[in-house]
Amino acid sequence: MSEGRSRTFYVLSAIFALYVLFLYGPTITILVLSFQGPSGGMTFPMNGVSLHWFHNLWAGIGVPNVVDALINSLKLGLVVTLLTVVISIMAGYAFRKKFRGSNALFFTAIASLILPSIVVSLGIALEFQLVNQTITGWGDSLVENYADIENPTAWTGFLVWVGTSIQDNYQTLMGLFTSGLGAHLTWTLPFGLLIMFAVFNRFNPAYEEAARDLGASPWQTFRHVVFPIILPSLFGVALFGFTLSWDEIARSSQAVGSANTLPLTLRGLTTTVTTPVIYALGTVTTAVSFAVILTAFVGVLIVQARRRRHGSDAGKA
Amino acid sequence: MSKTDKGGISRRTLLKGSAITAGFVGTTAVTGFPAVHADEPITLRYLSTATNQSPAIAAKAKEITGINIEYVTVTTDDVTKRIITQPESFDLVDSEYASLPNLIPSGNLMGIDAKKVKLVDKLATVMTKGEIGGKKIGDQGTAPHKVFYLEKQRGKTFAAEPTDWITLIPTTYNADTLGIRPDLIKRPIDSWAELLNPEFKGKAAILNIPSIGIMDAAMVNEAMGLVKYGDKGNMTKEEIDKTIATLIEAKKAGQFRAFWTDFNESVNLMASGETVIQSMWSPAVTAVRLKGIPCTFQPLKEGYRAWASGFGLPKTLKGKKLDAAYEFINWFLSGWAGAYLNRQGYYAAVLETAKENMEPFEWAFWMEGKPAEKDILGPDGGLLEKAGTVRDGGSYDTRMGAVACWNSTMKENAYMVQKWNEFIAA
Amino acid sequence: MLDVKSRWTPYWQAAPLALVFLIFFLLPLLVTFIVSFWTYTGYSIEPAFVGDNYASAFDKCFASLPDLCTTFRTYLSTLKFCFLVWLITLLLGFTIAYYLVFEIKTNTMRIVLALLCTIPFWTSNVIRMISWIPLLGRNGLVNQALMNAGITSQPIDWLLYSSFAVTLSLVHINTVFMIVPILNSMSRIDKSLVEAAYDNGASAWQTIWNVIVPLSKTGIAIGSIFVITVVMGDFISVGLMGGQQIASAGKVIETQITALQFPIAAANAIVLLAVVLMIIWTMLRFVDIRKEL
Repeated sequence: MSEGRSRTFYVLSAIFALYVLFLYGPTITILVLSFQGPSGGMTFPMNGVSLHWFHNLWAGIGVPNVVDALINSLKLGLVVTLLTVVISIMAGYAFRKKFRGSNALFFTAIASLILPSIVVSLGIALEFQLVNQTITGWGDSLVENYADIENPTAWTGFLVWVGTSIQDNYQTLMGLFTSGLGAHLTWTLPFGLLIMFAVFNRFNPAYEEAARDLGASPWQTFRHVVFPIILPSLFGVALFGFTLSWDEIARSSQAVGSANTLPLTLRGLTTTVTTPVIYALGTVTTAVSFAVILTAFVGVLIVQARRRRHGSDAGKA
Repeated sequence: MSKTDKGGISRRTLLKGSAITAGFVGTTAVTGFPAVHADEPITLRYLSTATNQSPAIAAKAKEITGINIEYVTVTTDDVTKRIITQPESFDLVDSEYASLPNLIPSGNLMGIDAKKVKLVDKLATVMTKGEIGGKKIGDQGTAPHKVFYLEKQRGKTFAAEPTDWITLIPTTYNADTLGIRPDLIKRPIDSWAELLNPEFKGKAAILNIPSIGIMDAAMVNEAMGLVKYGDKGNMTKEEIDKTIATLIEAKKAGQFRAFWTDFNESVNLMASGETVIQSMWSPAVTAVRLKGIPCTFQPLKEGYRAWASGFGLPKTLKGKKLDAAYEFINWFLSGWAGAYLNRQGYYAAVLETAKENMEPFEWAFWMEGKPAEKDILGPDGGLLEKAGTVRDGGSYDTRMGAVACWNSTMKENAYMVQKWNEFIAA
Repeated sequence: MLDVKSRWTPYWQAAPLALVFLIFFLLPLLVTFIVSFWTYTGYSIEPAFVGDNYASAFDKCFASLPDLCTTFRTYLSTLKFCFLVWLITLLLGFTIAYYLVFEIKTNTMRIVLALLCTIPFWTSNVIRMISWIPLLGRNGLVNQALMNAGITSQPIDWLLYSSFAVTLSLVHINTVFMIVPILNSMSRIDKSLVEAAYDNGASAWQTIWNVIVPLSKTGIAIGSIFVITVVMGDFISVGLMGGQQIASAGKVIETQITALQFPIAAANAIVLLAVVLMIIWTMLRFVDIRKEL
């Protein structure tokens, strides 16, 4: 564009730096406050500097279920991420063509973003409750109708067995990976879909034609041509998906069954924990996330470097 | 014996004498817990806010009864929502009596069999009858004794007379009032009316749970002599209109700094000096003090607004888990947990057994309104109050006896929430 | 569209998405409605009751004009936040995307800086929200800094629990939703177009306005959809940063749900849905984000 570093560059760099500072404001506050002295509170002024609250955190935040919740969130987040990426790619492909109902589907996705999360969560919970009642109802009616009848056959015996096992074992279909997962997907998929729109927007079909002309199957075309080109954006979708799921409160609140996610537990905890230990936890989670992203990033760099060595030029425009 | 976790040492010194000398063996002997250690341990999913979910209680319960308590921690709002939407997601719930009029019609909770609760006759009369030492206390609002019994186990209507089916077995209850920062206010406060005193413009806060906030507002309105209520916990539409009108006026004048919804927010507002006067919970005041910041739980001439919560059972609970739930409830009432909660400034359901598990000087401080003979330690062994201090508001009888109204669900709840939203939008 | 694939392909490709939305969005929405007629909140089953809910949502709205009723006031305040946040995030997001695409030379650096913008989102939202108090409160960092610098003598109250605080935190959360799609669109712009504009004597502003903005339109539209939808339904930021004193459409619904009044909450949710869908639909009249797929 222009020689050297223009003035624009410095102005924009300053703006970017300010934005990052603003973005990190709360994070920095958390970081600083987590080093409060033992008698310090959750607000300034600092009463000394110590590692007291980290020790405190290490000794157990006071409630044992934080770790369980963290693991729940992590598992759920990874599954949500994977599904979001896969379903978004497929849908992104679909939307490159005209198909019937595409408009309705698109607006449904948008609607899913708009409807306040608590309403979605509540709806899912009520829906699952209906399903549960139906299933337990079946169990009860099977037992009622077929138990203790005049001439039991193998079939009625089987029905009774089904009925009693429902009565004895069936609790609920709700759970982290049924209703909870669905609730999260209604939140992440619209984002994934819209990002795919941005990705496939003005995506040059010439590459695909070239691949086809060289006799590649649709799958090969995707695998060797399209996928490498959109890979960076897919990282974006994945990151989005995970971050959204990781922080999600309202949609989870009624839909995760008895397995709480981390934000839910934290929110429950903040009602009673009034010490900087919560900041210490924040600092630790940020540090861990930082490490994870850094590792992933270095991994990508290594892969890219190896690619370059192997001379694959896919994706280079 | 008792695990030496954080504060184990101090707790042991605290408890030397009565409970510990009776020891594990003693406890089983005294109250006769059938040991379920032999079977595989049963896990109970215990849904509630973090307030009563102390790891120490869970550890002690495990030690004595062999039952695993798995805490599911959520916010106050979510407790009631989950009872309605996910009754299968918990085995035991600790919820407020005030929300029962909304919860019982759903049929998701079942009556607790009074015959299986050993200490049912020892439950505090404040809860069961609405009296202290035979004297009636204020019962405007959803006073626990009004919603204590069900007509039948799976009934959806409350019984006026005692039956065998109890809605909730009390866990904790307390009387709330205004918390103030004496160092910033610098003068005595003795009336609810002070909350809307323009002197504290931009430094006052109320509770943003409509059903509770409206009660605080009613106390204020009545203290200011603006409205005379028939029943503050069950207002007419006109009374609601008037109450909200006062609030809107105050809000427009910039009286409120913020509204708080949970324990932590209320502590932060006070501790950071964002507010100097707000309605508060007793343990929240203690939490502010622990930070070395002066804060008073101010008794007021119009009396307290009380609340109570208790254990409920989901209708789906059956078999071994149901037995385990009863066993846990019985253990909970047997004293150790009660003493633990008393030491946080709440009140336990069965006072006799709680007393057996507390040192005499502790009991005198927390329950009898006497000056502390020694330093008062919290449940975790931290210093709460120095020797010589007196508990704000005095003894149990004085405080609970001065209750004016209870948290409630009104008949006009829908209208009230609509007006509350108007207030928020003003 | 030289594809020789069968015309059913898009259908099975879109099927998983459609299925998820059917099971976890459309059905629950329907159930919410059906359940709102059930008796467990103490309501009787009467069709008239639907009308009642909408009636009470718009209680006295037309009678009291020109004074605004609660619902209109609430929507007005929500739309105000929405517009402000949209404008700020758009300008900020566009600037940052431009910076990353046209001023940063290496891809690696670009990714590093983009990642830098996502890390704060990994600190739990709950904890982040609490930390605004020590940052913006009366005795917070910002006020301390201002007073130490002698800019103010008194702490500024409106930094926290105010419209300003709400806008700030919404911008804080949502700018990244603007950056990502705009970045995506912008990075696809052929650099030679920009060069050509310069060679033909266009100024930097003209180039941005006539070349870059039109070509980033899709990204802008997508980012706008994100921001508008999220802000319109938000109740957590508005609640916490407004000190629970500022109304928004989402907050009204939340209060009603908390009070276990599902029917009226459902009615309000549908009103909100309709309003926002109309906004989005109008927006898409101007930019068809699927046109060029």
